[in-house]
Amino acid sequence: MTLEEVVDGSACGPAREEGRRGVPRHVACVMDGNGRWAARRSLPRTSGHRAAETTVIDVIEAARSAGVEWLSLYAFSTENWQRPGAEIDFLMRLVRRVVRKHAPLLHARGIRCRFLGVTDPRIPPPLARDFADLTTLTAGNRGMTLTVAFDHGGRRDIVAAARSLIRSGVPAEAVDERCFAAHLPFPDTPDVDLVIRTSGEQRISNFMLWQVAYAELIFSPVLWPDFRAPHFLECLHTYQRRERRFGGVRPNENGERRP
Amino acid sequence: MTETGADEPQHTTGADQLFGLGSRFRGFFNDPRWALAIIRATVLEAAHPQIGAALADNSTFVTHPWRRLRNTVTSLQRMSGADEEARRKEAARLNRLHSRISGTDARDRPYDAMDPAVRAWVVATLFESSVAMCRFGGQPLEQDAIEELYGEFRGYLAALDGDARHLPPTVHEFWPYYERVVAEELEHTEAMRIILYRLFDHLPAPPLLHGLPTLWAAGRALVGPVIGAVTVASLPEPFRHRAGLPELPGARTLMQSAYLGAGLARFLPEGWLRTETVLDLLALSPDSDDPRARSLRALRDRMRRAGALVRLITPLPPEPEHGDTGLRRGAEEFFATVLDQTGDGYVDWPDLAAMARELAGRLDLDEPAETRLYDAFADWWRELQTALDTDGDGRVSCREYTEAVPSLAGPALIRVAEVLFDVTDANGDQRIDAAEYRALFRRGFHRDLTGTDDAYPRGAFVRDFLSFMSGRARSTPYDPLLADA
Repeated sequence: MTLEEVVDGSACGPAREEGRRGVPRHVACVMDGNGRWAARRSLPRTSGHRAAETTVIDVIEAARSAGVEWLSLYAFSTENWQRPGAEIDFLMRLVRRVVRKHAPLLHARGIRCRFLGVTDPRIPPPLARDFADLTTLTAGNRGMTLTVAFDHGGRRDIVAAARSLIRSGVPAEAVDERCFAAHLPFPDTPDVDLVIRTSGEQRISNFMLWQVAYAELIFSPVLWPDFRAPHFLECLHTYQRRERRFGGVRPNENGERRP
Repeated sequence: MTETGADEPQHTTGADQLFGLGSRFRGFFNDPRWALAIIRATVLEAAHPQIGAALADNSTFVTHPWRRLRNTVTSLQRMSGADEEARRKEAARLNRLHSRISGTDARDRPYDAMDPAVRAWVVATLFESSVAMCRFGGQPLEQDAIEELYGEFRGYLAALDGDARHLPPTVHEFWPYYERVVAEELEHTEAMRIILYRLFDHLPAPPLLHGLPTLWAAGRALVGPVIGAVTVASLPEPFRHRAGLPELPGARTLMQSAYLGAGLARFLPEGWLRTETVLDLLALSPDSDDPRARSLRALRDRMRRAGALVRLITPLPPEPEHGDTGLRRGAEEFFATVLDQTGDGYVDWPDLAAMARELAGRLDLDEPAETRLYDAFADWWRELQTALDTDGDGRVSCREYTEAVPSLAGPALIRVAEVLFDVTDANGDQRIDAAEYRALFRRGFHRDLTGTDDAYPRGAFVRDFLSFMSGRARSTPYDPLLADA
């Protein structure tokens, strides 16, 4: 595994040369375009979701071997519940199959998996159980951390943090950004450095709102089922060429690491 | 009964010295053979029709045996300790607890946990089982040691009842009394059958071993029947005869070997086997903040991971048509682990009383706080009964409960939460501080988030209690409190 990392690392060049920055620590993907991919082929929407599976595994592997430490995937938003019931049922079954199919592989790759959100009672209990099992299984891994946002909403997380903050009785003057962030779900998640949204849409869609504050945004025209490792690496290169200032004149570096 | 009149008062007041540090009673306390003796004594108690009925109706020992055992040991320690004030307080608490237990058995015969003759029998079985334990173990007690021990047990009864009139004054007179009760009063009760044949076969794992269900089940399948056989073989011959208990070949030898073997543990270094330490350890939840839990937690985590992997790689069964079964199973589980404390398949007043008893015990409540808590639970019971008992049989079945889950958080339950807050908030400053929290939950504050203030305000407390009690949320502090075995 280490050898492979070295090889891949040199191939995509995370080397910290003068004037170029390294690999983003935290990459977040909005997986968009499954429906359109299917429509262009006159297939039912569900086949677009099915085709997305390959991309997900490809991107996870590409991110891991490129040295990305945190990868977040936006799988299902709180708004997605408004989709037709049959499509939701299909998605739930598909996700369950994908999780179970790839669990041993993810674990063997040393990837720590966890699921952000997953609060809605409409999530079938067996699926929630599989999420919990995969989290348990991989909790001790020290490789890349894969956060799958499922039934996630960025605003909802912020509201939940505010609630928890008020409940803990912190006086208003004592609240600062760092203290607030500690109340978000998975408070150890660092700021997102790079957001990739596929299919040419240019929105953030309520995704990890707090963490994307300073993220670079890259909108790839490729539809998610067609998106592959080379596209992903291309996005990393684009990121590396950009200059990040965080509103000031700080040199290029990744976003803040959380305690 | 053996009314011996107001006999020598020095026995009753002599309790203080009798339970001194060097007393025989305390010597037995850390003897591993005592575990077997206690089981035997409990069977003999349960065979008494009044006690058997009270146990069957009110006791939580089938579903929560470890909690029950720990409470009993704590109580015995307080009763036998050197602190007289603590003893008086414990005796008062036990009396209050028992005064709430009365009713009628299946054959409509009344029972009452305050009946002095019944209480005398409980002490008698403990004494006789201690003597028998030494006999079975091959080291019978000398006559004067037996007399000394008997004096101590009478002292125990006197501390509870105010006098020990219902136990014969001397050992000499004790044996005829004991044999008469065995021959004439004991019956083959349901409670006894449960202890002998169900308890050890279904004994839930103690909290410490929760993460290792397979290991526990394997050990239990081996040890459970042996404990049953050993206990049966150690019961008095005439009673075994009458109750039609099986005579297994070799059981008596097995029984004596068990006592002998357990007795050998006395050669272990001092302090290795202290009942309190062992029980504390067993009651320890692997999630607790205790350093001793760490190595076990590591083992349990590994097992959990293995379990997760096995579940994930097991091929999926054909997709069942899913309705609202998920929610319903959750409700059923909550019913079985939390509400039905006595494990009889129904929620009835004894179940809620058992919760009140556990909470009052943890918080070491005195009057009038204890009665307030019981009253709040009684009101909640009436509310539950009105809302859920649709077939009008006076109790709530699992089906009645699961069909009506949403209507559970009524005003009476909110009242329970508020009263519980009041009695937990010992210093009355309207927040639960770290010490008060530890008294209730036996664990430190564990707010995952970095709050600056270590206190639990009323609103949050009431809300958390309600969401746990209405079965909506699993809760880390309440689950060990009310659901653990």
